[in-house]
Amino acid sequence: MSSAVDILRNYSGRKLRIMEVCGTHTHEIFRLGIRSLLSENIELVSGPGCPVCVTPPGFIDSAIELATRHKAIITTFGDLIRVPGSNSSLAGVRKDGAVVKAVYSPLDALDIARSNPDQEVVFLAVGFETTTPSACIAVKKAREENLKNFSILTANKTMPQAYKALQGSADAFLYPGHVHAIIGTGLCEDLTREGVSGVVAGFTAELLVKALSMIVEMSQSGVPFFANAYSSIVKSQGNLAAQKLIADMMQPCDCVWRGLGEIKQSGMALKDEFAGFDAVKKFKLVPGEGRTNPGCRCGEVLRGNCKPCDCPLFGKVCDPLHPVGACMVSGEGACSAFYQYAR
Amino acid sequence: MCVGLSAKVVAVNKDMALVDASGARREVSAELLDDLEPGDYVMVHAGVAIARITPEDAGE
Amino acid sequence: MEEFITLSHGAGGRQTADLIGNIFKKHFANKDFTPDDAAVLDLESKKIAFSTDGFIVSPWQFAGGNIGKLSICGTVNDLACMGAKPKYLTCAMVIEEGFKVTDLEAIAASMAATAAEAGVNIVAGDTKVAGKGQVDGIFITTTGVGEIMDGVRTSGALAQVGDAVIVTGDVGRHGCTILLERDEFGIEADVTSDCAPLNQTVEALLLESKDIHVIRDATRGGVGTVLYEICDQSQVGIKLNSEAIPVDDAVKGVCGMLGLEPLYLACEGRLVIFAPQSVAGKLLEVLHRMPYSQNAAIIGEVTSEIGKVIVEHSFGGKTILPQPTGELLPRIC
Repeated sequence: MSSAVDILRNYSGRKLRIMEVCGTHTHEIFRLGIRSLLSENIELVSGPGCPVCVTPPGFIDSAIELATRHKAIITTFGDLIRVPGSNSSLAGVRKDGAVVKAVYSPLDALDIARSNPDQEVVFLAVGFETTTPSACIAVKKAREENLKNFSILTANKTMPQAYKALQGSADAFLYPGHVHAIIGTGLCEDLTREGVSGVVAGFTAELLVKALSMIVEMSQSGVPFFANAYSSIVKSQGNLAAQKLIADMMQPCDCVWRGLGEIKQSGMALKDEFAGFDAVKKFKLVPGEGRTNPGCRCGEVLRGNCKPCDCPLFGKVCDPLHPVGACMVSGEGACSAFYQYAR
Repeated sequence: MCVGLSAKVVAVNKDMALVDASGARREVSAELLDDLEPGDYVMVHAGVAIARITPEDAGE
Repeated sequence: MEEFITLSHGAGGRQTADLIGNIFKKHFANKDFTPDDAAVLDLESKKIAFSTDGFIVSPWQFAGGNIGKLSICGTVNDLACMGAKPKYLTCAMVIEEGFKVTDLEAIAASMAATAAEAGVNIVAGDTKVAGKGQVDGIFITTTGVGEIMDGVRTSGALAQVGDAVIVTGDVGRHGCTILLERDEFGIEADVTSDCAPLNQTVEALLLESKDIHVIRDATRGGVGTVLYEICDQSQVGIKLNSEAIPVDDAVKGVCGMLGLEPLYLACEGRLVIFAPQSVAGKLLEVLHRMPYSQNAAIIGEVTSEIGKVIVEHSFGGKTILPQPTGELLPRIC
């Protein structure tokens, strides 16, 4: 590992811009202090891979409507609870009696539905390819058990279109290891042919340093490259059972990313045969776009066009206790990580 | 986006597996991985085993 | 027949007297326990430490203790941190209507046993009953006085640049235990609360050396919160050696699943000690001899970078320890 660290410390070539696409990478890179190892010619920028950060305010508004008007029990991954919608957050309406529970897994939301048969239970399905299968499994089990009071509100997203939307924002991507554990690496190889470089990385200090040092070394040739530095988990074909499950149950849809706007066919929604488990259809919701604070530059932060500290709200009216933009909410968000570790 | 944890499979019951990560145990879905057996190492995300890990790499 | 606490147990009449007699007098019996309006007590030292703490915990019993033990340890440890020998405690209870009498007795017995271990007498108490739903089971407040040992001066404001930072055991066990007891995340692990009275530990340390600058017990907010408090009070910084921080394996596993930081999980039997490097080694030897600090460790040292807690990893990475915000939420995606 020390030789990989030396490569990062001593790099003196042309300026290299690396985008970590995955929010967990952002978080671990900050937590482990990996930025402190980098030569000043290596710049790390944080991309849009925190599903909480790219969830638009309209989604939170829909969740709040379910919790307040429809009195549904909302179950969600913890970090979504404090994300601001247009007017409030789930934490905000919890004060007024809405029931919002943090769960570890969508399967736990299913348990809550089983033990509260007289109440509607909705799971907020955010996440990328890694997380989408868990929501599918929950819906599949709910259908097998004929569980009538369970549904999911989907904001699932897929990475391929996002990579294309981000093309040119960095010299190389640090590809998200667990996304590619599901979808495989064929996409990365295709992207290489389009001039996009990157390395798939794991999540420990050793694996992150290894992947970053590979990017530094492979950049020297000047030709687009791809490597898999997480081969113990990531196989070229990915997880075929997971891919089949998603394909059987969901279909692509156009999808709004907070900060990036609508990206065609970048979302996943349940197919019609599962309409009874789709909260939008079940409760006849009309999802709006929602409103964000006009001063918030989360969008540019997500595209890697500005640093969190360049935003006029950062640290002044927007901090982890009072997040304005979603990047400040999640521990994985670029602004939150920057606020906590880098100030 | 994907906090994962490597864990050892302790028991398998149909489509569910009991996994252990340095003493923390939990039931997770085993339906994405064929033929899981006790002793296998897996990567777990949001209550689902998403990938198998070869034993020598489990420390990753 | 199962007996339950009713509003009449708190009305001040016969049933109140019975409850006090059958439970509190029986368990707390000592020469100073008073039937009068206030206890009249002797103190030898001119300097006393005086502290109070309220306890609410759900569930009220957990692996390694219950709210009764917690309520004694909390105040005993607060007094000990100031270099005091805890002498007397009072306790006030607010009990929810419908609480089981046998459970109340278990709590009282555990308070008595912990007080006996710590060598303090419970000298006065108060019992109120609140209507169903107005409190969550039982709330306890304890207040205590202790005599400051001669020549001892500890305070959160006294940390000095260069001091060793010692933690007296593995971190985050109490918080992790409560998290598991609530069973919200389907995780099981063999973790017990670190809840313990630490006055004898402190006494042994001060017997070895009075050259100890800060003793602080880590409670809610965990060791991480204590580190920032001391940085602020003493106007210093702290550098931590990440690999030296003791964390139980199972606690690590639970934190790994939920994306939590052990340094911010509550402790109820851990001290954070700041002392000159010259005595740190000897203090560590003492700690390793005492029952509740067998895996004590030096985790870092005090720096002049005011307000900054820096974590250093052995591979070379270096970063700021983030400060927690709001409730701890499991981070999954």
